[in-house]
Amino acid sequence: MSILSRRISVAPIHLWLAFLGLLILIGLIGGFIVFTQGLVVTNLSDLVPWGLWITIDLSAIALSAGAFLLCAAVYLLGLKQFQPVAKTATFIGLIGYSMAVMTLLLDIGRPDRFWHSLIYWNTHSVLWEVTMCVVLYLTVLMLETTPIIGQASWMRSRWPNLSVWLSGLHRYAPYLAIVGLGLSMLHQSSLGAAYGTLKARPLWYNPGLSILFMVSAMAGGTSLTVLITMLVGRLSPKVRVNDQILGKLTIFVGWVLVGYLYFRFWEALSMSYTYQPGRTEGLSLLTKGPLALNFWVGEIILGAAIPIILLLVPKFRNNTTARMIALLMVVGGVIAYRWDVNISGLLVLLAYLPQEIATRYTVYRPSLIEFMAGVGVIAYGAMAITLGARYLNIVDHREFHETVVETKPDFAGTD
Amino acid sequence: MAKENVNRRDFLKVAALGATVLTGMRIANRTAASEATGSSPHQWVMVIDQAKCTGCGQCTLACRAHNDVPPDISWNRVIEMDDVGEKKVFIPRPCMHCEHAPCVDTCPVGASYYRPDGIVMMNYDRCIGCRYCEVACPFGARAFNWKAFTEPNPAVPTWGQPEVERRPRGVVEKCSFCYQRIDRGLALGLTPGVDNDATPACVVTCQVGARKFGDINDPDSEVSQILAETPYFRLREDLGVNPRVYYLPAREEVS
Repeated sequence: MSILSRRISVAPIHLWLAFLGLLILIGLIGGFIVFTQGLVVTNLSDLVPWGLWITIDLSAIALSAGAFLLCAAVYLLGLKQFQPVAKTATFIGLIGYSMAVMTLLLDIGRPDRFWHSLIYWNTHSVLWEVTMCVVLYLTVLMLETTPIIGQASWMRSRWPNLSVWLSGLHRYAPYLAIVGLGLSMLHQSSLGAAYGTLKARPLWYNPGLSILFMVSAMAGGTSLTVLITMLVGRLSPKVRVNDQILGKLTIFVGWVLVGYLYFRFWEALSMSYTYQPGRTEGLSLLTKGPLALNFWVGEIILGAAIPIILLLVPKFRNNTTARMIALLMVVGGVIAYRWDVNISGLLVLLAYLPQEIATRYTVYRPSLIEFMAGVGVIAYGAMAITLGARYLNIVDHREFHETVVETKPDFAGTD
Repeated sequence: MAKENVNRRDFLKVAALGATVLTGMRIANRTAASEATGSSPHQWVMVIDQAKCTGCGQCTLACRAHNDVPPDISWNRVIEMDDVGEKKVFIPRPCMHCEHAPCVDTCPVGASYYRPDGIVMMNYDRCIGCRYCEVACPFGARAFNWKAFTEPNPAVPTWGQPEVERRPRGVVEKCSFCYQRIDRGLALGLTPGVDNDATPACVVTCQVGARKFGDINDPDSEVSQILAETPYFRLREDLGVNPRVYYLPAREEVS
């Protein structure tokens, strides 16, 4: 009898964690092969030096953008009702940034020299600035997450003094929100600029990329935060979720997507209006070439157009399933956009010869090892968020009355 | 309320301290990276005559031997172009050693830098292998070491002996205008472009004399003379990167 009941209680979450554990194991095997044998095991080449992992890196950063937005909303604009969502977003941001660091370590040829980027500075490089943003904002996210760990129930009961000390960092939340806002906005747009400043690549070389990276990150980051909140609210019986707050955030996502489509439209029109070698061909890779499905369906229709309708029309927005599907589509659209930007610019070969008229293309398909390592990183993120929801209470809208103002929590002496 | 003020002051103190530390690191670092380009009396350039080049590819092989480049990497590619008249035309492509090099601009750790004599150099001990320079280079002049080069170099000894250390797996490499030959030659009192021992290996090995090398600051050098009287072009001049490799276009009368 006891065995049977135990077996039943083991079921869903443990199966999920075991599944993620398996994927992480596959990722570890992939990572081990990469570190021992080098990047020759990838399908990257001198023509396409950046591929799947860069897309995961860019997407993880973009989908972490909920953290700075919601922290800014709560601590700078004073919209305190969003405080419990900011907590969720901060934790997702921390996990997203750590995923990005992992893929970067996989992707660089000399991971043993990762510290070079901290001590040898070329302040002229956008990538230097991006590196600084990653490091500093990861630090901010760790500091912002510390009170979450401090307030976890097991921490309060077992180490009450440590709990008070960790929770006390919450006092600095407004300052961290300011620093985080600056670093994160700079980072999101700089990732676009890392491509947008390369004049050798006509498809990328425009100021629009910074804006599009920023705006799409705002939509994607908020979407993932709301989506995870809703998922945890549905799956965990202990968690209460305030649907009214989430509804407001989804309206925000809907309008940001309208802005995103607006910028994207003018960018595409400016790129297609007059023929320019490399640029026009690059764009046609997206509109009618091998990336057309990704572009039209992934980015535009499912990634933006349909979610705009689902999120802005109250009838659909108030339908939980429709809303969750829409948010998932936005997340997918942001990832599709990152993939398309990176790969479309690289598939068009550089034309530097005087008589070169016809534009030539190359191809790239990630290798099995790239998929294995990439899946491992994503599974790590999913597992961290699952465990966070279970043991750190990152999604819970009941307790939002008690925080914000308090500095020395009353529960210090209760244990 | 008072507590709040103290916190704010503390925060500002920490911020100020951080800014000071960062500025200090910036100044300490500046000395290490690029000395101002153009500060040397010599400014090296290469002139490649397309009318003479036969596309034999010996320059690529000599380059592989002298710089110990693996067989799957070419610091110096010879690319076939369209015909002029009856003759096939080739364009050998070393690193352009741009005056405003996108690779130097973009390298996050300053592993690509300008030498005072204009050569765009790689610090292989500093490179982290992010490949941003490869993405940024307009000329595809950079190659990444996807795997370790451990085998014997097939170009050695037929095409020469290695003069520099092999690059490890995981870093980007490229043509250096054979800086090691220039530096050693100058130390011996030789003149790069005139004395073979001080001149890049590809220039020395070229059987038809399609490559010339020398100091553009010296008006009497062969390269200065040629560029003064012959029409030339450079690759992607529209980008404004100002390459130090000049091409003399194929002309029907020479062929």
